[in-house]
Amino acid sequence: MSTDSQLKELALHDITVRFGGLTALDSVSLRVAPGRIVGVIGPNGAGKTTLFNVICGFVQPTSGSLTLDGSPWRPRPHHLSRLGIARTLQGVGQFSGMTVLENVMVGARHRHAESEALAALDRCGVARYADAHPGALPYAIRKRIELARALVAKPRILMLDEPAGGLDADEIAWLGALIKETGTTVLLVEHHMDLVMSVCDEILVLDFGKSIALGSPAEISANPKVTEAYLGAAA
Amino acid sequence: MSEFVYLTFDGLSRGLVYAAFALALVLIWRAARIVNFAQGAMAVSAVYVAYSVTNATGSYWLGFGAALLAGLALGVIVERVVMRFVDHSSPLNGVVVALGLVLIFQGVLGIVYGNEFLPFETPFSRDAFVVGGVAMLSRYDLFVFGTVGAVVIALTLLFTRTAVGLRMRAAAFAPDVSRLLGVSVGGMLTLGWALAAAVGSLAGILVVPTELGVHPTAMDVVFVSAFAAAVVGGLDSPIGAVVGGLIVGVLLSYVSGYIDVTVAPMAVLALLVVVLLGRPGGLFSSSKARVA
Repeated sequence: MSTDSQLKELALHDITVRFGGLTALDSVSLRVAPGRIVGVIGPNGAGKTTLFNVICGFVQPTSGSLTLDGSPWRPRPHHLSRLGIARTLQGVGQFSGMTVLENVMVGARHRHAESEALAALDRCGVARYADAHPGALPYAIRKRIELARALVAKPRILMLDEPAGGLDADEIAWLGALIKETGTTVLLVEHHMDLVMSVCDEILVLDFGKSIALGSPAEISANPKVTEAYLGAAA
Repeated sequence: MSEFVYLTFDGLSRGLVYAAFALALVLIWRAARIVNFAQGAMAVSAVYVAYSVTNATGSYWLGFGAALLAGLALGVIVERVVMRFVDHSSPLNGVVVALGLVLIFQGVLGIVYGNEFLPFETPFSRDAFVVGGVAMLSRYDLFVFGTVGAVVIALTLLFTRTAVGLRMRAAAFAPDVSRLLGVSVGGMLTLGWALAAAVGSLAGILVVPTELGVHPTAMDVVFVSAFAAAVVGGLDSPIGAVVGGLIVGVLLSYVSGYIDVTVAPMAVLALLVVVLLGRPGGLFSSSKARVA
């Protein structure tokens, strides 16, 4: 578990991303304080994954800036791990030519990669699949492996992109407990509202690339703009 | 019977050289999805370095080491200075640039060293041991067996037992995911090219002294056989490269010995047709998911 001194504050300032004529993010700001669990929600196409891609350096913002621990920061994907930032992918993204253990070992940053990878798999309840190839495993198991691969680097900021997709109720409850017990800063993109409301300290709501609400789960639940974005104007 | 035994050993020895060269092609294919048609010209450049160092020092082994170092350096230079800037949206772009490199390497070597075959001795005798009246392996064949075997074992250990090997595999398979996990994909690509070029140079220095000598085009025929070996084995498979190299080597030896040396290229072509009709991905292709 990370200590407070190791945690990092991540902030986005007026981030705008345009793809040709499409504005994927429109002046979005967010401060992710150390140790907090921040959810990012919104309908499909709202810009959630684009936001993650900006933080990871896969997408360069058209305007706006990022800071890490207060310093200006231009993210590059292969530097994230060194900075203590780990991300899971929506599409799982495992190396099918490698065993589960090897997949997780690629994410390890320390000398004892194999034992750490096994510990991370064990923590996610999938250590018995260590020698299997991920392509042959059920989707829910692969989701857990993806989580283990992110956790093995002992990240200070954990970015989870729809981790509950394809999981049943028991597995989502397990996932919620795991997210809480990491004790690290978590940025969570998720459609499963029960999970978001139960684990997040703060929630950002995006709609058509704009930030329409930011607040605690209770505040977001009571916000009519959020209901309108999800259910339409008639709601 | 004695002819069969001799041809078999001769084919295995030559096949190991093809295997090493095919392995070099497979390493780059796995890392960059490029068939490096410049591999032969790069290898022969390294052999020229060995030739120069051996002539200057009188030591084959200094020349041998210099060729491997030259191969490593050439791999780094070709990747960093040329291939990195190729638009990989079409696999043909890399092929065309590699063919351009062949012309440049062979042209420069011809200008510097001339276009005559230069003699280059093997470090051990090529006279086969005779056991019970049957000609077997020569000392040089044993040297080739040992050297290529050591390289295959070292590469296997590198890719299966080390963190660097794991990252090279990851970077080749899914570059973006690998970057997120902290893998320097560009660095792994350069390392892959360097290793491949060094292995190709090893094949060059093993085979060139057994033929007419050092010449800018000395590796052209070897390239064709090794490329066939890599395709027969499956371009994605290092094991396939080794097995393919041995198959091609033994086939060429039998056809040259029992029929005629001029028919040998036809035999390789026939082998390619048969294998590709039966298993289009090659004998050791693991999946059909990846395409260029």
